[in-house]
Amino acid sequence: MKRKDLFHLVAPLSERLYRFAFGLIPDDLQAEQLVIDGFNAYLLKEGKILSKKEIDLNSKKEVQLFRRAAFKGILRHVGDIGVRRSLQLTEQMRLTVPKDFVPYYSLEPKVRMVMGLRYDAQFTVDEIEEITLMPRYEVIEKIHNGRFLLLNDLNKAVNA
Amino acid sequence: MIEKNVSYNSFQKKIVPYLDGSLSKEETAEFEAFVLTHPEFEAKIKEKRDELETIRAMIPAGLLTKESQESMESEMRTSIYNLIKEEPRGFMDTVRIKWEDFLNN
Repeated sequence: MKRKDLFHLVAPLSERLYRFAFGLIPDDLQAEQLVIDGFNAYLLKEGKILSKKEIDLNSKKEVQLFRRAAFKGILRHVGDIGVRRSLQLTEQMRLTVPKDFVPYYSLEPKVRMVMGLRYDAQFTVDEIEEITLMPRYEVIEKIHNGRFLLLNDLNKAVNA
Repeated sequence: MIEKNVSYNSFQKKIVPYLDGSLSKEETAEFEAFVLTHPEFEAKIKEKRDELETIRAMIPAGLLTKESQESMESEMRTSIYNLIKEEPRGFMDTVRIKWEDFLNN
């Protein structure tokens, strides 16, 4: 695959990647950097395969399939780096968390990652398992915990 | 009657997994068949669906400005040109690759 073709295939993913990264780190610059770092890690891991891959750019189906697979591959690295970085930046993040989303950012980074993949990016549990490499029971547990904690927080706010 | 309640409760427990997509294909088919034969169940599903919508609204949707998007895409392009090696197919391709490398470095 030509490099310019690869760029045209992955560039439209930038917005959704940023959205996912922002769910992990609520800071514009940090989230942008996270996307770039995740993308670089993906290229380093998959570079050889990508350079040998042939895609018929006129085939909508092939393009869609490639883009979906690349999206998941990049998300894996963005998520992995993002969770670690989010743990390191806990103190700094307190200053940048948007007021309306304090309950969300008070969830554990791994729970946020899974919740973002499930409810924002709308991946199925099977796909989340594939992206995060977590066992299925852990994915389901994190979704359940995240949902419970958010609703609990909402109920507290309503009753206060 | 007891049997009916047991089955009703077990399907009720499956509403969230169904909406979450965590049911297997067989369970999903079984669940959908149950809903078709129990129209009153729709209200319970709607209630859970609304709950999930509330959760969705609690998740931030970070938006990129046009400048940030352009700068990010430009970084992505640079990464591709720096990290991916393209195999040339003939002389003209070698020239093209060298030229692209020159432009992107």
